[in-house]
Amino acid sequence: MESNVWLIAAAWMALALLASLISIRVGISVALIEILIGVVAGNFLGVHSTPWIDFLATFGSGLLTFLAGAEIDPESLRRHLKPAAAIGTVSFLGPFLGAAAFARWVGGWEPHAAWIAGISLSTTSVAVVYAVMLETGLNRTELGKLILAACFITDFGTVLALGILFANFNAWLLLFVAVTAAVLWQLPRLTRLVIARVGHRVSEPEVKFIFLVLFLLGGLAKLARSEAVLPAYLVGLVIAGVFVRDRVLMERMRTIAFTMLTPFYFLKAGLYVSLPAVGTGALLIVAFLLLKMGTKIVGVWPLTHLFRFGRRDGLYTTLLMSTGLTFGTISALFGLSNHIIDQGQYTILVTVVIGSAVIPTLIAQHYFEPRLPQPVAKMAVPEAGVSSPVPES
Amino acid sequence: MMFRRILVGLDGSEGGRHALEMAADLATLCKAELLVVSIEEKLPAYAATVGEVEDEERHEHRYFRQIQHEARRLIEPRGIPLHMEVVPGHPALALARLASERDCDLIVLGHTGHSRLHHLFLGSTADRVVERAHCAVLVVR
Repeated sequence: MESNVWLIAAAWMALALLASLISIRVGISVALIEILIGVVAGNFLGVHSTPWIDFLATFGSGLLTFLAGAEIDPESLRRHLKPAAAIGTVSFLGPFLGAAAFARWVGGWEPHAAWIAGISLSTTSVAVVYAVMLETGLNRTELGKLILAACFITDFGTVLALGILFANFNAWLLLFVAVTAAVLWQLPRLTRLVIARVGHRVSEPEVKFIFLVLFLLGGLAKLARSEAVLPAYLVGLVIAGVFVRDRVLMERMRTIAFTMLTPFYFLKAGLYVSLPAVGTGALLIVAFLLLKMGTKIVGVWPLTHLFRFGRRDGLYTTLLMSTGLTFGTISALFGLSNHIIDQGQYTILVTVVIGSAVIPTLIAQHYFEPRLPQPVAKMAVPEAGVSSPVPES
Repeated sequence: MMFRRILVGLDGSEGGRHALEMAADLATLCKAELLVVSIEEKLPAYAATVGEVEDEERHEHRYFRQIQHEARRLIEPRGIPLHMEVVPGHPALALARLASERDCDLIVLGHTGHSRLHHLFLGSTADRVVERAHCAVLVVR
């Protein structure tokens, strides 16, 4: 079994398939279910990773980061830049510094491990926020768009910290920065050119082109001892405008990611969570979770007042900005893979990250959901229409 | 009592179909308008990417458009003023909220509909609509 790649792949794909089926049944994201199944597989079934799974998982996390960058609405970000930058920056800095200080001075973690704690807990999950807002219709309002833009700024802070804090400041880093800057400058034009000239063929040249860019910049990041998610996020950001106009390309990238790559990443992320360590670290887990939410509240809530959010909208926004999932697990796994944190610390961080996806969302939805200004109808119902914004396909 | 505007929840289940038939009969009797609402309730919670949520919503939307298309074919020949909406959200909260916003004076629901696992622990959709609705609620068996 150990050397049989096919059987190992079959076992992992069986877990991924199981996660998909459970996800569809219970209405919880496949990513979270994959992490939880990974926890069970690692603790009870003796499943472990291999070098080729490590590569698929790493590529999966890079592609997830790329997709997260590409999902931004550039126009909305431009329109709300000032408040979004202020809220997003504070939303990143508060938990980043707070959790790092707490890990270092209260938890007694090594300095680099404390930075990983800060980065992992600084995140905001754009996807979690988006899903919640979709249910209330808030995603179509200016407030909703501002919140989403602020989440992107927070996540940008996270990937920037992950890419810079552990890098070697030497010639490789200079080369990485120079090449990344040049590529980002030309990438939107080049991507449009590739799509216009050879796009949407069965050999998928445009997908290969994007993968080539991600591999190249990821490789240079590795040489500089930086992290491949930084260029991946930046690449996503600069070609988000292309993706807005080319939904087919976006859907193909998602299909590749969710079928073949991200299951390996999320299963692996769960694999290293040690259940005994959850028990022994329970107090620290609760403390980190409260700290993450507390620092977000201290930082973001006053700003929501400054930008004239109502009390209820402000609390709702603050709680949504306390969520986290993808970048939190990516940061923690980066720390574990590079031996910056141990498995016990990894367990604590990933458990807090999962808790931060669920708990602030539940509180926000149950107690602070904004009341939308919709008309009380005198025949205000659209004739034979559907109110959902989803386009026909 | 005469009803002016009746909201009926349609989720593709047998209970939902019974509710639609009852609501249509009542609308004919009262010369009321009928608002047929489907709720996209299976959007993935705690998603990793925005795309995951968007894809799932598209899937749900296609499903409910089909369901509502069939409902329209059944109801339209009866000459009842008919409106249709598909909205994402928690079924009970969304139905109660829409009923209030659209000034409906009756909500009609099937007794058993499709429901997610965690709703088993929170009570049925009908129970929660009854708790929250501003108007009368009719649960059809």
